[in-house]
Amino acid sequence: MNKRVCLNCLLVIVFLLSLVGCAPGDQAGATGNEPAPAASSQPQGNTPEAEEPAKKGGDLIIAVPANLEPASFDGHIDPFQSTWLYDSFISDPLLILAPNGEYQPALAERWELSEDGKSWTFYLRDDVYFQDGTPFNAEAVKYNFERVKDPALGSAQLSDDLGPIKSVEVVDEFTVRLNYDAPWATLLDGLRRMPIWSPTAADKYDKNEFDKHLVGTGPFLFTEWVANDHVTFTRWEDYGGWNPIQNHEGPVYLNSVTIRFIGEEAVLGGVVANGNAHIAQELPAAYVVDYQDTQDATLMTGYQAGTGLQWVMNTTSPPLDQLKVRQALLYATDQDEINEILYDGLYLTQKGPLNSVHPCYWDGVETMYPFDLEKAASLLEEAGWRDENGDGIREAHGVPGVENGAPLIIRFSALHHEEIGEALQLTYKEIGIDLKVEVIPGPVQLDRVNQRDFELMYERQRSPDPRILDQIWNSKYDQPGGWAWSGLKIAEVDQLLEEIAASSDIEYRCELAKDVQRIVMENAGMLPTLSQPVYYAVDNSVKDFLLGAEGNWFFLNNAYIVD
Amino acid sequence: MRQYIFNRLLQMIPVLFLVSIIIFFIMHALPGDPAMLMLAGAEGGAVTPERIAELRAQMGLDDPLHIQYFRFITGAVRGDLGTSIRLRTPVTQLIAERFSSTLQLSLVGLGFSITFGLILGILAALKQNSWFDMISMVFSYIGVSMPIFWLGLLLILIFCFQLNWFEPAGGTGFKSLILPGITLGLSSAGIVSRLTRSSLIEVLNEDYIRTARGKGLKEIGVILHHALQNSMIPVVTMIGLQFGSMLAGAVVTETVFSRPGLGRLIVNAILWKDYPLVQGSVLVLALIYLLVNLLVDISYAWLDPRIHYN
Repeated sequence: MNKRVCLNCLLVIVFLLSLVGCAPGDQAGATGNEPAPAASSQPQGNTPEAEEPAKKGGDLIIAVPANLEPASFDGHIDPFQSTWLYDSFISDPLLILAPNGEYQPALAERWELSEDGKSWTFYLRDDVYFQDGTPFNAEAVKYNFERVKDPALGSAQLSDDLGPIKSVEVVDEFTVRLNYDAPWATLLDGLRRMPIWSPTAADKYDKNEFDKHLVGTGPFLFTEWVANDHVTFTRWEDYGGWNPIQNHEGPVYLNSVTIRFIGEEAVLGGVVANGNAHIAQELPAAYVVDYQDTQDATLMTGYQAGTGLQWVMNTTSPPLDQLKVRQALLYATDQDEINEILYDGLYLTQKGPLNSVHPCYWDGVETMYPFDLEKAASLLEEAGWRDENGDGIREAHGVPGVENGAPLIIRFSALHHEEIGEALQLTYKEIGIDLKVEVIPGPVQLDRVNQRDFELMYERQRSPDPRILDQIWNSKYDQPGGWAWSGLKIAEVDQLLEEIAASSDIEYRCELAKDVQRIVMENAGMLPTLSQPVYYAVDNSVKDFLLGAEGNWFFLNNAYIVD
Repeated sequence: MRQYIFNRLLQMIPVLFLVSIIIFFIMHALPGDPAMLMLAGAEGGAVTPERIAELRAQMGLDDPLHIQYFRFITGAVRGDLGTSIRLRTPVTQLIAERFSSTLQLSLVGLGFSITFGLILGILAALKQNSWFDMISMVFSYIGVSMPIFWLGLLLILIFCFQLNWFEPAGGTGFKSLILPGITLGLSSAGIVSRLTRSSLIEVLNEDYIRTARGKGLKEIGVILHHALQNSMIPVVTMIGLQFGSMLAGAVVTETVFSRPGLGRLIVNAILWKDYPLVQGSVLVLALIYLLVNLLVDISYAWLDPRIHYN
């Protein structure tokens, strides 16, 4: 009977189960009750107010795509742009890349490159200390360089960016020198991202634990990280305003910054409009229109210098080992049309190895391969690809290395933006190419590349430095783990790229980079498509939010929220 | 009963052993090199073969597969599931951190599923072939057939963006679990309601129910004391399976609602070829699944006194 009484209460029990299992507030470390941003009803721009608010401050919430969440917040280890961005809240670097694209001193007051290009000397500020009270000096900087270069740390890109350092020399308390065996011109591009950690704190923790206890010299303290959910930074009251971007003395205005990692595009698209966050970074293109005409938020657009969304052509095997076939693809690609159809013209069209916002962009690429389907078709004919069976797809006829009658199939392998391939599919079909679009995850991409098992493979590199061409087009990187995937081996290109790596004269480097772009396009080594801008929806209650020279970088030193 | 439970626990050992072998070799058969991913990132910079080889050696990935497996399984027996390659944190710690979130979500989903599934199913059975029956079964069809991600987005659009009742992402406490719980539990509620209805209708047609009614018992007493308990065995079986599925399959809900949880942890780990994390997580999930099913089997004896485990 007792059992039956219990059964009668089943509904009550299961209902209680749901309540008991979900006691409020027991999610480890979460800070969910941040005040929701007040959506302003006034049409304000994102510029300093004429009327100063009584007190500048606020708790800023920034929503970002979940894939921007770093695996580790220690930028000495993790090779992601978002890691270095969040690190810049905790620690000022030696220098910054200012919004105007110039390097400006931060923790280093100035720097010098020796005449032979083999030694960089940095003169440090003498009034800085870390958040734990450790003094900032040449020894601390030396410690950081040596930490990054220590193989046991497992640093990825940053170690490569610093180059083959021969020695780190403490010249005096506030002067440090890096010595190389050969000129290393691109050091500043690495240093602008490199956080300078407190040696005391880094020594205190194991390298796997330190990323939860980061201590730097920056405007915010690293307060809390709940993986897959959010990270919170709170204002460091003793900050000295050492970042040149800051327009006032002392600590920053914001009380705290919370970065929320959003897993769903539709949610990211709506969080600012609905008052759940102040800023949405990397707003999906489909939601840009929602913020174009609104009075409550401002749409900001950042551009990222780099390669754009390009598909590297595998020149080592058929059918793309034939120059004419590769050129046919270029003639058959109408980037403007794709941009209009897919993204309402919001992206930047890209016609060469560097995108049009790159400081070393060569505009000659714009006229090299005008959209011309007839020309593309005739090139395919000349290369031995004809449609003799009338099925609309060309077959090989006397093509070296290809069995006669084999159809002209080209795989378009994408990590994302597969819709670009789908748009190309239609156009390519008109000239008898069967384009197979496939979406692959990162590990599969690397595996395929290592085995040279691809025709068109997605690749994107982002940097305003022309050295990114070196990584992609210097044949010495045509090896497992390297990023020179096309298989092109052109001595002149390799020579030019070596000179780029060795020179510190930015104008000269750009001239060389333009030659590289020309030669790569003459050899049709890649299929350029579009460049994706970085959109930010910014609630109008946020003031002085400043975008960096790179689209996915921003500064919060002067930002505040008005009620 | 104790002997039965002991035997069932013993039977779990070979099952877990098999699971560990399968997941270990599947992970190693997938393309991609975790060392290269670690160094280069999904879209990172240049990496030399020497660096990759160095890291592979550090991770023990250059050892023969059987050595690697032995290392994994002996560690697992000691409760050490290794360290995540990408997150550089002990796997047990990562699972413990995320599991509470997934468990909360699954319990709310299960609570919703049982509450609504049973109520709808019981009422539909009692009012068989009525309008209510038809409507409730349409509801259950909708619950079963609606994709989770679509339902989640729909709820977010209505209750977060239009009505502003909930936060669309993050948050803490019970309120933050309501929409994800409904999203996760609706499909299961549909299944439970259909099963409850059919099972209860079958029982209500049994002779002993007619006898109970003939003895003059009140209808509510007949239903609660005689019919419902006897119709619950298939429903409880299904609820047990559903709970296991919810724990393992909350990834879509966790992604849509941006919740930290075991599902997202595993999916990211698979993408990054984080062997220890995938292996450890799958092993733990398999163990939980087995334990839940054991509890379901034990509950049979409680539901039906004719069932003995001696």
